Amino acid sequence: MKWWGWVLALLPAGAGILIAILATNEFTANPTLYLRGNLAALAFLGGVIISGMIIASAQFWIRSQRRHKKEIQAVQKQASEDRRQFLQRLDHELKNPLTAIQAGLTNLTIEPLADHLAEEVSAVQTQVQRISRLVADLRKLAALERAPVEKVVVNMADLLTDVVSAVKDQPSTKERQITLILPHAPWPLPDIEGDPDLLLLAIHNLLDNAAKFTTPGDTIEVRAFDDGSDIVIEVADTGAGIPQTEIAQVWEELYRGERARGVPGSGLGLPLVRAIIEKHGGSVELRSRPDQGTVFSVHLPAK
Amino acid sequence: MLPRRTLVYNLTMEAKAKLLLVDDEIAITDRLAPFLSRAGFEVKVAADGEAALQETISYAPDLIVLDVLMPRLNGREVLRQLRQKGDWTPIILLTQVGESGERAMALMEGADDYINKPFDPNELVARIKTILRRSSPGQPPLTLAERLKCGDLVVDRTRRRAYLDAVEIDLSPKAMSLLEYLITHPDELLSRERLLDAVWGWDYPIGTRTVDTRIAELRRVLGDDPGDPCYIETIPGEGYRFIGKVEKTT
Repeated sequence: MKWWGWVLALLPAGAGILIAILATNEFTANPTLYLRGNLAALAFLGGVIISGMIIASAQFWIRSQRRHKKEIQAVQKQASEDRRQFLQRLDHELKNPLTAIQAGLTNLTIEPLADHLAEEVSAVQTQVQRISRLVADLRKLAALERAPVEKVVVNMADLLTDVVSAVKDQPSTKERQITLILPHAPWPLPDIEGDPDLLLLAIHNLLDNAAKFTTPGDTIEVRAFDDGSDIVIEVADTGAGIPQTEIAQVWEELYRGERARGVPGSGLGLPLVRAIIEKHGGSVELRSRPDQGTVFSVHLPAK
Repeated sequence: MLPRRTLVYNLTMEAKAKLLLVDDEIAITDRLAPFLSRAGFEVKVAADGEAALQETISYAPDLIVLDVLMPRLNGREVLRQLRQKGDWTPIILLTQVGESGERAMALMEGADDYINKPFDPNELVARIKTILRRSSPGQPPLTLAERLKCGDLVVDRTRRRAYLDAVEIDLSPKAMSLLEYLITHPDELLSRERLLDAVWGWDYPIGTRTVDTRIAELRRVLGDDPGDPCYIETIPGEGYRFIGKVEKTT
């Protein structure tokens, strides 16, 4: 409650105390007042006053809640705007030097180089490409957050079947048992509205992530169902799991958890998933137990 | 006889093509200019937009590689001024923005192509060669045409509609954008990565599958046989090429 709220609330109490003091000390006689009224009038008056107080305090509470929520949203919006601007500036400051370095390295390789030099130049080239890729990926992520999403009817069951079969063909998922469980009874998975290419990318990233943090012999299960208003897609694995302390951070750009050291990746796969799903009015969450596995869930509003 | 003459003309064009490289970053122009010279071009460097406008008159380049963010006069303004006075010298923009919306705008304003920094210099040379091969000097590029025709196919770019034998065809928005990109880049070998970057704005590995899906959609709607195509040819292991003669139409 704000200070003026307290002042207003305590005003009647203050006035009462003041009158009491005045009546006891200042007046020679402290007159006694007798109020007469019938029970009906008293009940009516009492009821109205109590209701009025309840309504007033509820209104006050709701308003302060709303204001609080707005303040949080404004802070979050500002934070995401700051982050976007920072990434844009970083992108801008990196791309010119990277362009010059790439051109310089290409100039070096025009003449045949001695073996040991060729090896060095090629190693540097690989690293420059890695930074370039990172810069480009950050830029794409920022662009995606701002771009409007295409809205067409998407059959998620077909899309999931497609992604799962694509992932099964990849060497990274070798010796993992990947299963897809789709509902058939009493009705199949409802359609959603969105950009099928982006949704495919998001689900693919979740599966790619699951493949990275599992080892041969592990199981990856993709399940989809509808809960009445949303389509829920879960990508569950029996992999390494994520410590509780890291769960909130895995959706952040460039975050690499303890267990992700030594696993190739940019730290941008999951943030991309979140950006895509949120663009579709959905949400993402995860549950995990270290050494048992992880369940990533995606909620998307059904059509 | 005619095709052979065109070929000879193009080869000599390439050998002697004059490039104007415009960027305020000396670290870039100092590395890139010698590279482009070695690739067989005559290269001149301008450090800002005003210098670039002067050089287009005195040096008369065959193609301009133009950075966007520059002091005094930025690249977009240079592009606008040149096009306004009817100068259609081919321009490749070195864009500073990765957004497909911004890039689409650059193309609408009359750039022939764009490439994002940082880029592989070899990729820049490939793009330059492609544009020099296709550009008809003094003519607005196909990317600026509002209506394009190829055989029975008509693409109305302002309305974002396509017609086959004068009947409107039903395409998803992405397939329409893809068709638009293909028909404005006829005879060019377009890799899946390049199509993704240009049409989708991202090029993650899974995307190559996405491109194939949309190409299949286009072929189905256009009734194009992949084995004997009239419009879209598959170049195994490399990408796609829009074949067939493309003309501007009204």
